[in-house]
Amino acid sequence: MKALLLGAVWIHLASSVLLVGALFLLLLAGPSANATIRRWERSVVDWSRGLVVVAVVAGLVWLVARTAVFENRPGAALEPRAVWRAALDTWPGLVWLGRQGALVVLAALLWARVDVTARRDWIAARAQALGLGGLALGLASAASHAAAIGPGAAWAVAVDVSHVIATGLWVGGLPALALLLHAAGRDDDAQARATALGTARRFSHAALVAVLVLVASGSAGAVAQVGSVAALAGTTHGRLLLAKLTLLIPILALAAVNRTRLLPAAAAPGATRRLATFVTLEALLALAILALAAAMTLTTPARHAEPVWPFPFRLTLDGLDDAARRRVVAASQIGLAAVIALLGASILRRRRVPLLAGAGALVVVAAALGLPPLVVEAYPTTFRRPPVTYHATSIASGMAVYAEHCASCHGADGAGVAGADLRSPSIARRHAGEIFWLVGRGIPERGMPAFESRLAERARWDVINFVRALGAATVATTLGPRIRPDDAWLAAPDFTIAVGPLAPGALRDYRGRRIVLLVVYTLPGSRERMTALARSYELLSVLGVEIVAVPARVTGHPIVELGAAPPVLFPVVTDGTAAIVATYGLFAPGPHAEVLIDRQGYVRAVWRNDASPADTSVVQAEVERLNAEKSPPPFPDDHVH
Amino acid sequence: MPLWQVVVVLNLTFAVGLGLGYAGWGRRVGALEREVNADRARIERLERERGACARGAKAGEQQWEGRGLVRAVYPRLLVITHEEIRGLLPARTTSFAVPATTSAPRVGDAVRFSLRGTAPDDVAIVAIEGW
Repeated sequence: MKALLLGAVWIHLASSVLLVGALFLLLLAGPSANATIRRWERSVVDWSRGLVVVAVVAGLVWLVARTAVFENRPGAALEPRAVWRAALDTWPGLVWLGRQGALVVLAALLWARVDVTARRDWIAARAQALGLGGLALGLASAASHAAAIGPGAAWAVAVDVSHVIATGLWVGGLPALALLLHAAGRDDDAQARATALGTARRFSHAALVAVLVLVASGSAGAVAQVGSVAALAGTTHGRLLLAKLTLLIPILALAAVNRTRLLPAAAAPGATRRLATFVTLEALLALAILALAAAMTLTTPARHAEPVWPFPFRLTLDGLDDAARRRVVAASQIGLAAVIALLGASILRRRRVPLLAGAGALVVVAAALGLPPLVVEAYPTTFRRPPVTYHATSIASGMAVYAEHCASCHGADGAGVAGADLRSPSIARRHAGEIFWLVGRGIPERGMPAFESRLAERARWDVINFVRALGAATVATTLGPRIRPDDAWLAAPDFTIAVGPLAPGALRDYRGRRIVLLVVYTLPGSRERMTALARSYELLSVLGVEIVAVPARVTGHPIVELGAAPPVLFPVVTDGTAAIVATYGLFAPGPHAEVLIDRQGYVRAVWRNDASPADTSVVQAEVERLNAEKSPPPFPDDHVH
Repeated sequence: MPLWQVVVVLNLTFAVGLGLGYAGWGRRVGALEREVNADRARIERLERERGACARGAKAGEQQWEGRGLVRAVYPRLLVITHEEIRGLLPARTTSFAVPATTSAPRVGDAVRFSLRGTAPDDVAIVAIEGW
């Protein structure tokens, strides 16, 4: 059913594109009294009649096949009621109705043998046909991947519309142009040839504009739908796009030869026919591209698919030491020189060969010097996004798994006994997906066992979250009770705030709204501080702070234990406290610790090991400094990298 | 009539039809949707008023039900961290007036409570029980 759907999409897309191009070329050629041109025009109109029927039929097949895929049973394709539902109750179905409507009106217009002897009638008939064809083609964008982009869908759809219309005008026009050139080249008719070449020249200008629009809209669409190199190289959608781009190179080369070499010299009959052959070749390649485009519409956009990295290495700028950085900078300068040499070669007419050779040599030297420090090993899962968020619950379960399976070699604190130091920069430089691969498959030559069969996937991701928290905790020792203005880098692991039977909240609910002072307390030692916090809650609240209190040890009902006087009005977490205490214990150990988390969700100040703020004015001063910050960083990612 | 004039007239008809269709039908749909939402809110309010009336409230008063956790107890005032109270308040910590006759809960108790009043700023707890 998928193959049928793909075939239907391709034939439908190709016929719509060819239809628009053929009608466009008719308009470009203009009304003519010449017999050869009239013959060509008649054959193009006949072709268009056929194409519009093919487009309507392929559209019907598409709807039927899509109903089967939509209902997830092949039998649905033959049930009128299911097809009816797919057409009327789904958005792609409504768009389909609109497009089929335009195609049917276009078919009626083309099949009606209207009298177009008057020039105005001729133009009106052809322009109307082109308008209807363009409407049918452009409407496809309303149900494309572009229309599914959350905010900014209108803009994405506009970009997509310009992409398909430009395709229609350029790609679709090629076969009709080839026919025209062929017809004009066969007859020994100077007038026909002049008209054909004039049309070809006008088409060449229009095609140049169309190609520029295609490149611009295609790039914008790729950024929106693919977004990253990993998604480009590692997903079906991305690879189809790469194949499309690869096919585009010979097409553009042919187009350039046609435009710069063949077209200016095409006045002779033989040359016109050669141009016709080249244009036909170009058109055939373009039809192959349309097949790839059809396949792309049926695959998950690369941005939303899980990339499988195909290479055993990747390039990264992270974690370079000074020597390596100097090498890379030197290489980039050599590369710049190569670019200048290339520019010079394209501008200068003399000494082009030595300049090109020099540029090539410089590129080789720059690559040999600059690339090796950037290369790191990579695995198929390198760019896999962790399915588990950076959450206290996951980190705490990871901590238990780590203690059981990993601590014997890597040490309880990750410093490494027999195994590697997990807090080292070389581990921090590794993507989470790479650690996932190494944990699963092991490193036999270094004695690291494979855990794929021993730990569930979820447990492996939990361990990775824990290792990341461990690495962060090592660096976090530099954080003290005073914030460093505009220096937010330590993402606060999310946690659940469950107060009694009330619907639980989460730390991330405060993002963009309030500063959070997380207080991990132990009674009776923290009694005095908790009383002070309860008294100053109103003031801190006005400053934009929410206090979240978490008991380090739960013995009874935490809220009851804190007592009624003075009243404690801030959230006191009663359930799931162990995970929060374990996770934040990595950053701020102690029976009593306080962590100041800014509005963006970064840890900014830490009071650890009972060194609680002397009084509220200390916290207040830090909060005021946070409130004075001008450029907040973006929210931290919910997943580790 | 020559063909080009037919084409122009047909296209104009189509454009005008689309515009009028939106102006008439599309806007009407929007207005109806707003009307339905307003009516739905009114029905909810009337239902709360009826509920309040059945329990002996004065005319015009409504009744809301809430669930929460008692955080502070003062004479004739309770501070409760509560879930969303539909049609009145989002989930947050609020202080509510209580009549002296109601038996006072203790801090930390999970409670269900009924509020009665005419507007968000004059509601008072009329009944309270363990959750």
